Amino acid sequence: MKNYFLLLLCCIPFIGKSQSVDPKKSINKINEKFSKVADYKADVAMQFGIPNVKISNINATVLYKNPNKFKMKAKGLFFLPKQNPMQNVMNTLKDTANYQAIYSGKALVNGTNCIIVNIIPIKPMGDLVLGKFWIDDVKNLIVKSEITTKNNGTVATENKFGANAIYALPDEIKINMDVNKFKIPKMLALDINKKKKLDANPNNKKESASITLHFTNYIINQKIEDREFTTD
Amino acid sequence: MNNFGGLLINEFIKTFKKPRTFISFIALTILVLALQYGFYHDGKEIMKFFTQSLEEDFSINGNMLTSNFITYLILQFLIVQMPLLVTLVSGDIISGEAQTGSLRYLLLRPQTRTQIYFAKWIISMFYTLLLLIWLGILALVVSKFIFPNGDLIAAFSDGVHITRAADCNFKFLEAFGIAFLALGLITSFAMMLSAFAENSISPIIIVMSTVIIFTVIGTFELPVFEFLKPFMFTTHMIVWRDLFENPVPASEIITSCMVMFAHIILFFSIGLFHFNKKDITC
Repeated sequence: MKNYFLLLLCCIPFIGKSQSVDPKKSINKINEKFSKVADYKADVAMQFGIPNVKISNINATVLYKNPNKFKMKAKGLFFLPKQNPMQNVMNTLKDTANYQAIYSGKALVNGTNCIIVNIIPIKPMGDLVLGKFWIDDVKNLIVKSEITTKNNGTVATENKFGANAIYALPDEIKINMDVNKFKIPKMLALDINKKKKLDANPNNKKESASITLHFTNYIINQKIEDREFTTD
Repeated sequence: MNNFGGLLINEFIKTFKKPRTFISFIALTILVLALQYGFYHDGKEIMKFFTQSLEEDFSINGNMLTSNFITYLILQFLIVQMPLLVTLVSGDIISGEAQTGSLRYLLLRPQTRTQIYFAKWIISMFYTLLLLIWLGILALVVSKFIFPNGDLIAAFSDGVHITRAADCNFKFLEAFGIAFLALGLITSFAMMLSAFAENSISPIIIVMSTVIIFTVIGTFELPVFEFLKPFMFTTHMIVWRDLFENPVPASEIITSCMVMFAHIILFFSIGLFHFNKKDITC
């Protein structure tokens, strides 16, 4: 009993420290950084790791205009998660009155000390169920995030920052998500005479997919016309 | 050589004077245009059905109903039909003459039987090439006027493989090359049978029956038939599809091309040997 009491006494300084982290303050600092971005345009190279989809890399142009205009243009097919984390993360955090932010510890992500903040909606925020953010509290950047929605499950992102960290704009985003097994309609596969390859996932369990986006040539706050979001 | 040239011209005129030679071109035109019309009308619905499972998790950006996709589908749908169209000419080229009695007069010419057989084979292969070029024009060129250019999304049993638009033209060129080898095999097979037969119907029926039987056996996923698949030429005839796999299984494609080439030599040799020995009674 004495030992438990001692252990509890030892933990008191840490409890005090955890309470000293104000998650909303950290989020506000990030929002403040991003609010400096009225619009941006950048080149993006996309790499795909989607189960049962063999697709080569593609280059695209990404356009953003505050508050919520977003477009990716490419000469070819590309896949993005249904809930686009590039748009979702900042939109989710924008209005701090919409959610409860809860500090839930610290973690080391890719060599960066981060605080973990959970976001729980208190007002309707689309189909958001939970948001979890790993925030570099020194540089005020979101290093990692997990956004869980009712319809599209959980989409995780890992961000790497470079010269545009002052605007909270990443140089690389790696999107990870669990996807349903892709079923090919037999009528269209028409694999006549082909020996069927062994199914690596016979139980139709969810498989993990990833999409990596490398951003270069950011052009920030150079006034992008609205029509650029409607034309291909 | 001049004699052989004359023989070639003679065979060319005989083949292209027959109305039945153009049946294949008309049939192919109707088939391809019907498919293009169908996809122009209902293509978006079909694509939805195709990507339904993917769209549960992803938003797919870009046009999927492209001219390259339509060309690929047309080629895929015509796997079974093309051999029939090719056989209409090559299956008739010797037996047709045997049936009408003109073969006897042909063999009275100073050219050797080998030269005559070779000239007929060249004309049959030329007809096959023309048919493929016509298919290429209809499928690839006409589709480009109807559908937008873009990436090709091809379905295989292990998933979808996407070929970028910039790579498609060269891949289609290669695909048509392999298809020529495949149809050349059918041409040689039909001509070999034509050397054996005394009427035109038998070679056509035998070729089509063989293609249908091999294709049906090939679609069975029963282990008992697995060992047979490498020995059936239909297994190798559709290897052009593998060009659209990512990465391209080059060794499989080369092996299949060699198998098809070996078949062509085998069928040609058997046909020629029999034609040289054949007792012409009609």
